Amino acid sequence: MTTSNRHLRQGWWTLFIFLTLGLGLETLHGFKIGWYLDADVEIRRLMFTLSHAHGTLLALVNIGVGLTIRCVEGFDLEKNVSGALIWGSLVLPIGFLLGGLFIHDGDPGLAVFLVPVGGFMLLYGVGCAAKELSKQLKP
Amino acid sequence: MTDLSTPPNPVKRKYFPSSWAGRCKLISIIWGLLLVGGWLFNTNWKSETPANRPIQTLKEDYSSAVTCRSCHPGNYASWHASYHRTMTQVASKQTTASDMDGLELTDDGTDYRIDLVGDSYFVRSKMEGRAESEFSEPREIVLLTGSHNLQVYWLETGKQRTMEQFPLGYFIAEKKWAPIEQTFLVPPSAKQVSSRGEWNAGCINCHVTVGRSQPVGDRVFDSSVSDFGIACEACHAGGREHIERNRDPLHRFSLHLSDKKDQTIANPANMDGPTASLVCGQCHSIWSFNNAAAASKLDTEGAAYRPGDANMELRTVVQPFSEDSATRHETLKEYGTSFWSDGQIRVTGRELNGTMASPCFKGGEFSCLSCHDLHPDKTDEKSLASWAKDHQMGVGMNTDQACLQCHEALAVNIPEHTHHVSSSSGSRCYNCHMPHSSYGLMRAIRSHQITSPTVRESIDHGRPNACNLCHLDETLAWTADKLNEWYGHDIPALEQDDHELSAGAKWILKGDAGQRALIVWAMGWAPAKRASGYEWFYPYLIIQLNDPYAAVRFVSWKSLKSLPGFYDFSYDYTITDDAKQKAACDQAYWNWWLKVRDSRHVYQEKTVLQPSGSFRQDTFQRLLKERDNREIYLIE
Repeated sequence: MTTSNRHLRQGWWTLFIFLTLGLGLETLHGFKIGWYLDADVEIRRLMFTLSHAHGTLLALVNIGVGLTIRCVEGFDLEKNVSGALIWGSLVLPIGFLLGGLFIHDGDPGLAVFLVPVGGFMLLYGVGCAAKELSKQLKP
Repeated sequence: MTDLSTPPNPVKRKYFPSSWAGRCKLISIIWGLLLVGGWLFNTNWKSETPANRPIQTLKEDYSSAVTCRSCHPGNYASWHASYHRTMTQVASKQTTASDMDGLELTDDGTDYRIDLVGDSYFVRSKMEGRAESEFSEPREIVLLTGSHNLQVYWLETGKQRTMEQFPLGYFIAEKKWAPIEQTFLVPPSAKQVSSRGEWNAGCINCHVTVGRSQPVGDRVFDSSVSDFGIACEACHAGGREHIERNRDPLHRFSLHLSDKKDQTIANPANMDGPTASLVCGQCHSIWSFNNAAAASKLDTEGAAYRPGDANMELRTVVQPFSEDSATRHETLKEYGTSFWSDGQIRVTGRELNGTMASPCFKGGEFSCLSCHDLHPDKTDEKSLASWAKDHQMGVGMNTDQACLQCHEALAVNIPEHTHHVSSSSGSRCYNCHMPHSSYGLMRAIRSHQITSPTVRESIDHGRPNACNLCHLDETLAWTADKLNEWYGHDIPALEQDDHELSAGAKWILKGDAGQRALIVWAMGWAPAKRASGYEWFYPYLIIQLNDPYAAVRFVSWKSLKSLPGFYDFSYDYTITDDAKQKAACDQAYWNWWLKVRDSRHVYQEKTVLQPSGSFRQDTFQRLLKERDNREIYLIE
């Protein structure tokens, strides 16, 4: 599978998953579920909201990456860069999601430590992609 | 000459620096602008430190409740819903319980007018009946205390941060203004001479978190507090170290993932019974300063006590239970009528005195938190508002479960222990072991000294026993027989009246003001109405509308309103004119006699009533003559 296809497939599926999560969160709101809405679980609500927002946004980023590869002639990503983008955009929102599942008073669960891991993977991936794209766009 | 037919060459502007040095410079400028913007945004240019009331200044290790919110939103929310938070508030349109704009009140020969200016209320006063032009200069209502039953207002005095009490308080449920001296059980002759500095010198000790009176002259104060109301750090001690230490996420997660307790903050839930109880008892007790130097230190520095300490440092809980009768007598003398003559506390708000004297307390594990949750449990399905109104009881703790959590064996066969059927209110642990024999907030309150009912407590100390607080129609002799038959109590020597007259009727007619208040309250209490039959309560509650004590009149009115035919009964208990009071009584009496009374009902002789329901005048008058008219002050 080409890099472009891999990002497009990843992007659209994660977009589906995190939009579904958003719908789930709306449902929790709709039925006023205390497990999600009570003041003492405020951190859970924040973590889930961040997971939904980041997951959706990063899905769009992956779609954008896939389309950019197709549009810009000669532009492609190395395997490790592509992997960093794909895994980073999974690890970061999943960190938020799992961190919100098991909380400690005002703190999220231990899984929240996946967030900075995913964040650094994304930074690396986006930085390398920007550099490579700049090379290709040089007049 | 300029050729206007051709446009000039466009100048290529560089919006983004091409060199790394330039980019860094640009980023630095943006960051700088953001920082300045943030600082400007966070600075409240309008706020000025008020000079006419106590202010919030943090003390040493204190950091205020708002800081706790970010990490403990649930606990913050439950505290926010509690009446502890609103015990003292800065007065404003939002915090007062009623709209007072344009309100006109009269008390003790003075007319008052309250007006809203901006967000604040201002009071003007003049001698009653004088012209509008004689109103005094307006004074701002700067602070208020209470938000549950009664709201009391404090005025600026022009003497630094010293305040003076507005002479009328507002009953929230009743939507009624009343002179302050009629909001406590005090003799009708009691009159407040001056309340200037009273809040600063007295109320500040308990109605805020770490208050410092800071006297600067004769009844002039420069008072400050760590938090208005009873906030997080009143129970958890200063949180600054806790906050600093827990900024480190690794430290926090090491605590989350282990059984270790956070040593940087006090948590009553982790303390032994007496230590945890003292956290509540620092306010909910009758205490005295250890000496004059301690009082002075508290005035200037605030309480030295920190939750978790084994004693109150500068203060001591007063317990008049000394074996030495002279010492006990002296203590009781000093604290007036706040205690029954056996040393049991009889006012509310001082629950630790009762709790400490309870047998349960001696085990070392029992504490206020055995029954009360200061933050509701996750399994508590009540709303925060209901939990707050329900005295912050733990889940199931307003049932027998409160006692059965330790006394498990009794759960097997409750009627065997209570001699009442399981569903009877006589089988509820609270009703026998924590009866409504304390008074405060214009009603009877459950005693927090856990005891078993005896007839001796009634004949020796005048305290209505639990049995007769429900069986108001029965005699003390009846109770003595039952306690003898069921529990083997000795039968004490009793007066003739105690063999012949209902204990409830006798206490109302002959008792002191405190006893009368308890009995008229019990007459509005559903279990007593069921056990005693409420038909005979009417004439008693009606005559008590003419009681010399305003508080007794108030409680009688409330109980009367709980009886059929009087649900909408309107009566102004604050009237001090005896003729008007008697007229209101007469009207209520005839209303009962002609419209409400069931003429077929046969009233019992022991209730000092004729079979028709009129008073047995000879006994009625004799008991009234024998009434205990000593002055009673029950100030919670």
